[in-house]
Amino acid sequence: MITNSKVLISVNNLKKSFGDLSVLKDITTDIHKGEVVVVIGASGSGKSTFLRCLNRLEEPTDGTIVFDDVNITDAKCNINQHRQRMGMVFQQFNLFPHMTVLKNLTIAPMKLRGLSKEEAQEKAMQLLSRVGLADRADAYPSQLSGGQKQRVAIVRALAMNPDVMLFDEPTSALDPEMVGEVLDVMKQLAAEGMTMVVVTHEMGFAREVADRVLFIDDGKIAEQGTPEEVFGNPQHPRTKEFLSKVL
Amino acid sequence: MEKIWQTLLDFYENSIKQPFVSSFITDDRWKMLLEGFGNTLLITLLAAIIGIFIGIVVAMIRTTYDNNLESWSRRGGFGFFVMRVLNRLCKIYLSVFRGTPVMVQLLIAYLIILSNVDNTLVVATVAFGVNSGAYVAEIMRSGIMSIDRGQIEAGRSLGFNYAQTMLRIVLPQAFKNTLPPLLNEFIALLKETSVAGYIGVRDLNKAGELIRGVSFEIFMPLIAVAAIYLCVVLLLTNLVGKLERRLRRSDH
Repeated sequence: MITNSKVLISVNNLKKSFGDLSVLKDITTDIHKGEVVVVIGASGSGKSTFLRCLNRLEEPTDGTIVFDDVNITDAKCNINQHRQRMGMVFQQFNLFPHMTVLKNLTIAPMKLRGLSKEEAQEKAMQLLSRVGLADRADAYPSQLSGGQKQRVAIVRALAMNPDVMLFDEPTSALDPEMVGEVLDVMKQLAAEGMTMVVVTHEMGFAREVADRVLFIDDGKIAEQGTPEEVFGNPQHPRTKEFLSKVL
Repeated sequence: MEKIWQTLLDFYENSIKQPFVSSFITDDRWKMLLEGFGNTLLITLLAAIIGIFIGIVVAMIRTTYDNNLESWSRRGGFGFFVMRVLNRLCKIYLSVFRGTPVMVQLLIAYLIILSNVDNTLVVATVAFGVNSGAYVAEIMRSGIMSIDRGQIEAGRSLGFNYAQTMLRIVLPQAFKNTLPPLLNEFIALLKETSVAGYIGVRDLNKAGELIRGVSFEIFMPLIAVAAIYLCVVLLLTNLVGKLERRLRRSDH
């Protein structure tokens, strides 16, 4: 576990309800700079909701989230500025279908970071080369495979130079043969020291890449630790039950 | 043989040529039709512009309210109160103007609300425009709602604010979906303006009526009016079809 570096995101007593349904019951955790946190848990346990609360795509019902020393759950906080530094990757890719791949990558840096078209395109082409998609810059998202779409979605978020990357089940909508290419990009990113919070069902990825595994059950962190601890010697009965089903 | 020929000639003279001449040629009555057609097009065009303007405003208020309800209700404050009032006003507008006949709305505009406006053309344009706005608003709203929520989330997660996300990401996609139903709405609007004669506007239908009054012909003026409406509608329908095919082709 990484504990000696700066705390980048501090989650305190986070609660989230949809009407009467309480999804997150009380979550407190610190995410350190450079740490890769993998969140696992059964469907409906609240792991995606937890991730979506981190950049306030879901409004927390209670509790605070402090990102880089700023309380982003404060009503007066301009969340848009902080989201620029929190990249997000979705299960369904959510690329902009009416724009080319290149435009998908350049629109936010140009409009929000004030980059010139040339600067943004240069940076975008660098990122696309990194994920092996430089030749698809002028394609539209509908012309890409699922794996290619998700790699584009990852570099679209990276184009904003985020301090942290949030992944919401990035491989769940992919055909099995395309999962590897997306995980490879994520592994590369982790190796470069990017702070990452990853909600996933890919236990192999969690084991290999995670600094810390969070097991969420019924809206609470039931168990957390290094992959060796959680996978090798689970303590909580729900963790044991869950792992026996997925491993 | 000669008798049959004579009968046909008589038929042509009495039932076609004469009615045609007294309907359209005598006293240059075709000019009345032309003038009426011009007014019909003018009312339709201006009402469509008013409708689009109102429709955009109402659709934006309604979708903005629905999309941001959660974060606003949490923050509360004056902004939330204003949006709630606006949203409620829009809903009332929609149900009133879609829930009453356009004919009745026209009379209310003419006899009550705009009773001091002398130009009936203006009254009709405003009435049809405000009526059409209600339909346009719902077309645009459904167009915006048809865009996957993930698109808004992707835009917002990059740091775009709500307005930027709408403008750059949602509306360009929604616009494509709304064009065909929007054109259909304007085809309906064109036909609906035919009741403008009730408040004295000399539109196409009214021109036909006036010609019937002076020429005592029924068949020719009525059919001519119907044919003109039909031609315009067929033209526009054709346009919608072409448009739909083109939009499908550029579907990415």
